[in-house]
Amino acid sequence: MKIKLTINGASYEKDVAENRTLLRFLREDLGLTGTKEGCGAGECGACTVILDGRTVNACMVLAAEVDGASVKTIEGEARDGKLSDIQQAFDRHHAVQCGFCSSGMVLSVRELIERNPRPSVGEIKQGLEGNFCRCTGYTQIIEAVLDVTGQIDRKGEMTHA
Amino acid sequence: MIYNFKYLAPETRGELHAMLADRGPAAALLSGGTDLLVNIRNGVLRPEFVINVKKVKDFGGIAWSAEEGLIIRAGCTINDLLRDARVRADYPLLAACAHDLASYQIRNRATVVGNVANASPCSDMAAALLCLKARAVISSSRGEREVPFPEFFKGVKKTVIRPDEILERIIVPASSAGAPGDYRKLKRINGHDLAIVGVALLKQDGEIRMGISSAAPTPIYVGGLKTSDPADLVVAAALEAVHPISDVRCTREYREHMIQVYVRRLLEEVKA
Repeated sequence: MKIKLTINGASYEKDVAENRTLLRFLREDLGLTGTKEGCGAGECGACTVILDGRTVNACMVLAAEVDGASVKTIEGEARDGKLSDIQQAFDRHHAVQCGFCSSGMVLSVRELIERNPRPSVGEIKQGLEGNFCRCTGYTQIIEAVLDVTGQIDRKGEMTHA
Repeated sequence: MIYNFKYLAPETRGELHAMLADRGPAAALLSGGTDLLVNIRNGVLRPEFVINVKKVKDFGGIAWSAEEGLIIRAGCTINDLLRDARVRADYPLLAACAHDLASYQIRNRATVVGNVANASPCSDMAAALLCLKARAVISSSRGEREVPFPEFFKGVKKTVIRPDEILERIIVPASSAGAPGDYRKLKRINGHDLAIVGVALLKQDGEIRMGISSAAPTPIYVGGLKTSDPADLVVAAALEAVHPISDVRCTREYREHMIQVYVRRLLEEVKA
């Protein structure tokens, strides 16, 4: 079937198989391989993308369902070869080790800070509960979120209450 | 590649009912998809047709009715419910169960109707809906019928819904608004997980009502108790109603123990 959608601001019109997941569509039909498949069952959050402003697991959405929607993937974070604010904060705090969870983590952080510009540590943990890091770098990821929301100084001292 | 089904996206209630009348036994309804698509991927379900209910006109979100109360439609996600300030104020138990369901991303997609229609014994929303005396409105081309939640579940993954029918909306009665209640869910980890056992408890007009998940083939309703009853009696009623099993997540004895612990805690913590 034919679907029309916007991905990272660009319009696409594509034929997709009716049983194609959004995840496979992004990775295999469009070559947007920044979105990762971890468990394929909604446990790990590696495939997190932003669908019409809300994070979803792309492995649990059909491409057919996103006809007319707007999707943001990790490829939409950096602009003109420059990392986004969240990506730079992840870099500064060594919040990336193997990198497999990072695409989903960054997008979950993006949606979290859109709805809550100064999340507490508890709110960050809750906002990222659907994203697993197995390296594990949760502490650095939380620091990166505190940093990008102006709640930590660059020496690493938390100003957050 | 997952199993090759035919995708259908009706836009009106009439079209949906006609599709179900024609293809019901070979079709699966797709709402949030957070259970269905995983089951299809794993080969547990092999429906010939997948019918997306989210594109049907007026099937999304919630509505309020002065006489009936809160109406939760088939496409209403868990987070649609949680984002509504009036839901959080009027039905705190509903919000508590919604908040404990899976992870944020899943709550953005999973629906209340799907969580109960799926009829998993560990349904978090069922625990709240049982306490709140909610009713399921089931429709088909033959008409509509209402089923109170204690009669809705028939077994593991089994409900009273027939192949040509859909659980179109849930009515949470206005008479249950304002009743204090809370949910305690035991999980293996502090993050998102299925319930090892879950206890919802609500107090209203001197009455205590409980909904217990993961402790029997269906979510269990326990009613007929009074706020003046001693805690031992309330605990005994809860343990009498459930039939937990031992499985990969824990033993029967642990489940029974934790039901007892949660009932006692909730009796103290939920202020009438």
